[in-house]
Amino acid sequence: MGRIKKKGTAGQAKNFITRTQAVRKLQVSLPDFRRLCIYKGIYPREPRSKKKASKSSTPSTTFYYTRDIQYLLHEPLLAKFRDHKALAKKISRHLGRGEVGDAARLEKKGATKLSLDHIIKDRYPTFVDALRDLDDALSLLFLFANLPSTSTVPPKTIALCQRLCLEFEHYLITTNSLRKSFLSIKGIYYQATIQGQDILWLVPYKFVQRVTGDVDFRIMGTFVEFYTTLLGFVNFRLYTTIGLIYPPRFNAKSYEQGGELDAIVLEGRGIEEPKQIESFKGHVNGEVDGGTVPTKTNEEIQKQIATIKEGPNAELDVLEGQDQYQALDQEMNDAIDTFETTGDDADVLPQPQAGGNEAGSLFAPFTFFLSRETPRQPLEFILRAFGCKRIGWDAILGDGAFTTNEADPTITHQIVDRPPMASLPEELQVSESPSDPPPTTVVRPGYRVPGRTLVQPQWVWDCINQLKLLRPDLYAPGATLPPHLSPWVKPTKGAYDPSAPLAEQEREGEAEEAEGFSDDEDEEAQEEEVEKSDDAAADGVALAPSASTPATADLQDDHGMTIAGSESESEPASEADSFAGFDSAPESDTDPTLTQHQRELEAEAAGLNFSETLTKANGQPVKGILKGSGKGDEARKKAAKRRREEEEELERRKMMMGRKKRKVLDKMLYSNRQKEGEAEALRAKRRKIEARRG
Amino acid sequence: MAPQPYSKKRKALTRDSPEADEVLLSDGGDDFEIALLNGIQSQSEDDRDEEDEDASSDLFGGDSDLEDEGGSEDEIVSDEVPSDEEGDLADVKQNDTATFRATEGNDGVERPPPNHKITEDANGNPRYIYTEIDPVYDSDDSDAPPTQNTIGNIPLSFYDSYPHIGYDINGKKIARPAKGEALDALLDSIEVPKGWTGLTDPATGEPLELSQQELEILRRIQMNEVPDEGYDPYPATVEYFTGKTETMPLSAAPEPKRRWIPSKHESKRVMKIVRAIREGKILPYKPPREETEDELEVRRYDIWANELARPDHPMNVPAPKLPPPGYEQSYHPPPEYLPDQNEKKAWEDTDEEERNQEFLPTSHDALRKVPGYEKFLKERFERCLDLYLAPRVRRSKLNIDPESLLPQLPSLEELRPFPTTCATLFRGHDGRVRSLAVDPSGVWLASGGDDGTVRVWELLTGRQIWSVKLGTEDAVNVVRWRPSTEAIILSVAVGEDVYLLVPPVGDPEIETKGREVLDAGWGYAANGATSNAKKEPATQWTRPGVRLEEEGVLVKFSLRKTVKVISWHRRGEYFSTVCPQAQSSAVAIHTISKHLTQLPFRKLKGLAQSASFHPSKPIFLVATQRYIRSYDLSKQELLKIIQPGARWISSFDVHPGGDNLIVGTYDRRLLWHDLDLSVRPFKVLRYHSKAIRAVKFHQGGLPLFADASDDGSLQIFHGKVVGDMMENATIVPLKVLRGHTVKKELGVLDLDWHPTQPWLVSAGADGTCRLWT
Repeated sequence: MGRIKKKGTAGQAKNFITRTQAVRKLQVSLPDFRRLCIYKGIYPREPRSKKKASKSSTPSTTFYYTRDIQYLLHEPLLAKFRDHKALAKKISRHLGRGEVGDAARLEKKGATKLSLDHIIKDRYPTFVDALRDLDDALSLLFLFANLPSTSTVPPKTIALCQRLCLEFEHYLITTNSLRKSFLSIKGIYYQATIQGQDILWLVPYKFVQRVTGDVDFRIMGTFVEFYTTLLGFVNFRLYTTIGLIYPPRFNAKSYEQGGELDAIVLEGRGIEEPKQIESFKGHVNGEVDGGTVPTKTNEEIQKQIATIKEGPNAELDVLEGQDQYQALDQEMNDAIDTFETTGDDADVLPQPQAGGNEAGSLFAPFTFFLSRETPRQPLEFILRAFGCKRIGWDAILGDGAFTTNEADPTITHQIVDRPPMASLPEELQVSESPSDPPPTTVVRPGYRVPGRTLVQPQWVWDCINQLKLLRPDLYAPGATLPPHLSPWVKPTKGAYDPSAPLAEQEREGEAEEAEGFSDDEDEEAQEEEVEKSDDAAADGVALAPSASTPATADLQDDHGMTIAGSESESEPASEADSFAGFDSAPESDTDPTLTQHQRELEAEAAGLNFSETLTKANGQPVKGILKGSGKGDEARKKAAKRRREEEEELERRKMMMGRKKRKVLDKMLYSNRQKEGEAEALRAKRRKIEARRG
Repeated sequence: MAPQPYSKKRKALTRDSPEADEVLLSDGGDDFEIALLNGIQSQSEDDRDEEDEDASSDLFGGDSDLEDEGGSEDEIVSDEVPSDEEGDLADVKQNDTATFRATEGNDGVERPPPNHKITEDANGNPRYIYTEIDPVYDSDDSDAPPTQNTIGNIPLSFYDSYPHIGYDINGKKIARPAKGEALDALLDSIEVPKGWTGLTDPATGEPLELSQQELEILRRIQMNEVPDEGYDPYPATVEYFTGKTETMPLSAAPEPKRRWIPSKHESKRVMKIVRAIREGKILPYKPPREETEDELEVRRYDIWANELARPDHPMNVPAPKLPPPGYEQSYHPPPEYLPDQNEKKAWEDTDEEERNQEFLPTSHDALRKVPGYEKFLKERFERCLDLYLAPRVRRSKLNIDPESLLPQLPSLEELRPFPTTCATLFRGHDGRVRSLAVDPSGVWLASGGDDGTVRVWELLTGRQIWSVKLGTEDAVNVVRWRPSTEAIILSVAVGEDVYLLVPPVGDPEIETKGREVLDAGWGYAANGATSNAKKEPATQWTRPGVRLEEEGVLVKFSLRKTVKVISWHRRGEYFSTVCPQAQSSAVAIHTISKHLTQLPFRKLKGLAQSASFHPSKPIFLVATQRYIRSYDLSKQELLKIIQPGARWISSFDVHPGGDNLIVGTYDRRLLWHDLDLSVRPFKVLRYHSKAIRAVKFHQGGLPLFADASDDGSLQIFHGKVVGDMMENATIVPLKVLRGHTVKKELGVLDLDWHPTQPWLVSAGADGTCRLWT
């Protein structure tokens, strides 16, 4: 017999360490430990058995992997933390003595920023690892870029976040690697694909964020510090791989004037890729040399546009441009050649689609103008990322526009987000003042410049998500927009897909079944409808007269008779459900009169008043008897029967399984049913809506 | 030795003190004087002490000379003092006031109380023997307050014209003290000695006179000089070095080189610094750079210049990404995603942490109407918290079709027919129905219960055909038909008795055949008894009596304990009985044709529960509490011990095929044994919530079996056994039959299958039997 093993020396007891133990081992304070964990990406673990992992009798909640803590023990930051602590003590001592000068000197001396470079390399050994973890970083940095500066959030941090975000956006614009975007009620989601990694992040709408008391900015600050370092290095790598200088030049003047994307000027490296640099300069929205020639007349701009038109990269005509792109494609040698199999018996190897350039050419031929009320920042970013070179906007929206003249004839698309005026005079009202050197053209609100397409902002998003230009008339100002759908939801079997027609998704007989139930719900829905229309009226928005009240009333009349029996039938059905027998319920194919009789008998047994039963159930059954064998009824009965049989079958088979397997199955079935139930509810809602619409 | 007499003496002295005190106080006309007097008095007292001591020593022994010299001196002094006093006394005798000297003088001269007597000691010297002092309260008033002047706070000059200076506490006049010798004072004032101060030295009581030295010090102070005599404030300077250059140097040594040659060492050190500066090791001081805007530009470099992928560690769990938004998060979702009023209300009513969606889907018909999302910052913060605070666990998600987990079962159509509903109800028994059996032809149902009657019913109609009361107190425990359609015989166990009877139902021919079969044994019993006389038969088969015989009860024999189980051999020749309480005679095998009872087991391990014949082979199975043993009847040996693993077997049944066995137990289990496979159960089924009472296979070729339980339900199973050895039996639960009511925790007590149809009869504790079809 071997030696008796001592308890707590091996296995889980050794592998896990509680937080208190970890803090004690590292000899740091809890906030410092937290910072360290955030920087190093150390997270608590869930031991398989908490009891085995903890040595004390009181239950510990947080466990760390012992190796992790051991690894933290060698962290150079730990020494820095201790130095900081010592320095803080010195400073406080000086302050206590009233030696302000000494304290200031010490503070200055100790103000060296923590360098997190080694941690970045440590946590992300390869660049792809870093890209994979960029989701949270971008979301947080974009949030901080949009925060007002407070005592807890220094303006420096915000400025850094803004610059890093702009730099990252510039990279996406340059490489056209933005893939998808989605307008949600939380903010705008973007998805980019860099080196095969999908990066999804969320940018809030430009509103002041509500700060609640339970948000600890120290923790967020720690994350921001780490993420800024990370994004800095990522940006460096991204820029250098495409031959750009990092950091790009920062135009503070433009930044102060709200230039945003315009505030950063990309510069190429050396002479290798002059062409590319040209194209980058083209990105700076028409103001290629705005710095050198600050005062330019409108005519000059026009001329420049003309030259751009002539250039190979910018076309106004769609067809022409597409032709040229095809020509370019053929010229390129980097592209993959397609392999055609010669023999019939050969296997076909899949090849990636040569579709990288589609994103870059979607909006390339157009000139956009953003109206005052549209969100400039996301629109500019998206349009540019999808190839648009010339974007103008109202001067209010900030610096860096291709043109601020709304009446510019080169504009092909205008993005508008205002309600249409009652009368739309189709003439151009331009008030020109020739005396001023830069002639300002002002389009009065409500007037429309002819010869351009007016769309609502959603058009841009829907276009890029489907990667094709959609019909603009659906998105015309004032039109009821089609629903905006998330591009990330993949249609799965059994799940509800709003884009597919209802009939394809329904279970067989679901519609007939549902017809019966929708009687009383219809009334409710009607009420709702009325309320809604009231609301809409209050809003002052003209609602299209969709399902007016008489129409719904008609509907109800139509259904009234057939539906009537529904309630009377639902009860026996449920009864049969509860009856756990194999015998096919004899009630299912009996006359409704019988069921009614049965119900009366039941009521009697239950001790209900006769009148009560009458009021409760008899009002409609009278009708139901008259026209009992409706289509919906039969379908429902059939479905109920089938369902019951299926259930019985399942129960029977389950009885033969082992306990563990049965539990697994139950779990799976539960979740599947949950999903199915959700899908079914959605289908039911849609059915109702469609029925109301007629 | 000395102190005691001294103290005694002193106490004796103090007796007189009031007077002395009075004198003393009256002495103080002035504060100063009083203080002076006090000092003097204290001194005088010291003197007196010394003197007393000397006196005593003188008195006590001749060795007093040896004691000390000072003492003798003091004695001399004291001798002198009285003389002085006497002189004083002469001066102020009639005054009756005395100074301290006077009092002392008084002490010395007249001692009025003769509290001692003088004897002569051994040497002839006088010896004083003092009387004992009575230590009364007032015997020692040394701490009595001194006499005080009571005139209060008024100047003493008011009393200048009076001979007294005030009054004591008793109202007596305090006499003015004597002012000394006026003439002496006058003389003194004329001839002022050097150093006279006019003050009295408080230490000595004599006029204070300053010495020559002191006078000198006073003078110096007056002259603003340093009081110390020898101190010279301005001593003459002693010049240790001279400022004048000597014309002749002290040393003739030439001046050393180092005086005018620059130091090599120094130049080395300087050059070292110079070199360091040239090399850039020492930089000139630069004031620290002020923070500029460029601080934002952190040094960036390609950190992944030489990247090296690290193999993934199993303990490293990367943070899970947030799921992408769904349709319901859209600013303008399809209308079916919008919540209706009920959903909205439900969402609002639920607690914020319990909502499964943190937002309500809302639709905005234009982008400009989309408001800011209130919880954006909070959600980001919570994500941050999750990233560093949430434990990460890898969970493999099972993403398979649940159908694949389910076992493949024969279709429902294949499983039919089986009993589903209660077709007939047999009422009539008073109390529980303990047992029932369907006769081999499938027409009759026999039942027996707590009321002691055996009843025969028509199975299909539920009509009672015949009944007989066999027990008055004992219940009918078992009712079993003989498995033969030719002769109808019913075996009944009532208490300890077993009856064989031929109920008068159905065909009279069959009935007579049954009677014949039973009667055949009577003769054999008579013959056999003679041949096998040596061994006592286990029991005697008898006729039950005329009354019962008329009713059809033909044979009766009794065993020693209550018979619980009867089971017939397939041919109908033998049947076995089990009396669980009996020890050696628990299991008995009875031969009908011989009217013979045999006890095959001398001793059984455990309590016998049930016994059964194998359907095809000469094998006999006996179930004890925990095991089932199978015996080969021909070889008379133990074949196998089947271990169901149950606590208490209630009943078992052998499959008609003979290779399978079902066992019902009181611990709610139904066990299927494949005898070829193992002695352990092939399947353990636990679908009952109470004990299982009876189990039965269908004997007529249908793959069915059923069990009856105390929870009032019967469960029907499909149990198909394939002849192929390789294939396991298929067991499918089919139906739960409920109908019997549970009475006193007892539900269904027995069941039996119809011999050919898929019908089941059950006996309930509620006094009914039911036919399930």
